[in-house]
Amino acid sequence: MLYQEFNDFWDVARKRHIIFFYVGYFSQHVVAAISETIKARLDTAGAAGPTRRRIFSSFVEMSQNIMHYSSDSLTPPEQGQRQMRRGSFCIGMKDDSFFLLCANPVDSLNVERIRSRLEPLHTMTMEQIKSAYKKALREETPADSKGAGLGFLTMARDASEPLEFEFVQEAHNPGSTMFCIKAII
Amino acid sequence: MESLEPLFIAASPTSPEIDFRFDQHTLSIKGESYPENAAAFYGPLIERVRGWLAGCEDAAITVNVSLAYFNSSSTKMLFTFFETLNAAALAGTPVRLNWYHDEDDDTILEFGQELQDDFGALEFHDHAVSSH
Repeated sequence: MLYQEFNDFWDVARKRHIIFFYVGYFSQHVVAAISETIKARLDTAGAAGPTRRRIFSSFVEMSQNIMHYSSDSLTPPEQGQRQMRRGSFCIGMKDDSFFLLCANPVDSLNVERIRSRLEPLHTMTMEQIKSAYKKALREETPADSKGAGLGFLTMARDASEPLEFEFVQEAHNPGSTMFCIKAII
Repeated sequence: MESLEPLFIAASPTSPEIDFRFDQHTLSIKGESYPENAAAFYGPLIERVRGWLAGCEDAAITVNVSLAYFNSSSTKMLFTFFETLNAAALAGTPVRLNWYHDEDDDTILEFGQELQDDFGALEFHDHAVSSH
């Protein structure tokens, strides 16, 4: 019975061609462990070198977004290092492509700011994305960024289609919104 | 007088090996770079190099960078690191940059081209390495 219970759950993932998923708190140790796992997993899935690198890069950018910006934190927000924050991440296959899906709660007050960064990317060509990346690389890091303001541009550069995203306000807690982003590689 | 003590940091699963041998004028970075906080990791290294360069007296410097992967925030810090080296080269210290990357890694190859565009004073040597 125990195994059946587990299998029902696993079957859903298998039917959707999920090759990795994780829901919970992200720390740097968790990111390192997931990295090790997905590198091995992508090897056995037979992904070509450049594809594997783009998937890995997108995973790192997504996991850093969770660690830096998820509003559900186990660690005090003023603590600059060794953060642990909640999010969800999965990699799957659909047709001939890989997809990465990531979700984490954010403060509803930040939704418009995040949207304003992502929306322009949607209509940009790869050439425009690359030139925006080059420009951002040479600019001062935005004050509200813990990375370099390059994370979304990096994901957009690695993806083969425009990044998809969605904000879902939590019904029981309107101050919190679930931010989801999807990259197709 | 800046210390010539070498600076060595062993690689971790998410940060590269740092091997700065100031007395030999050789700075090497090797591995993968996606630390939790790239500014906290690279900031002090860049400061240390700046201090050393200030008293370096024009002896030629070799910089070896062999990174299989670096994330976006590391990219930004590396850019600052090379900016610092370029400033030293403009001031008269010859700097050779050996840029190693996997032969089919376009992202790192292109970043190397960005560095050549912006930091023309560095003597840039591209080394495409076969992964097979």
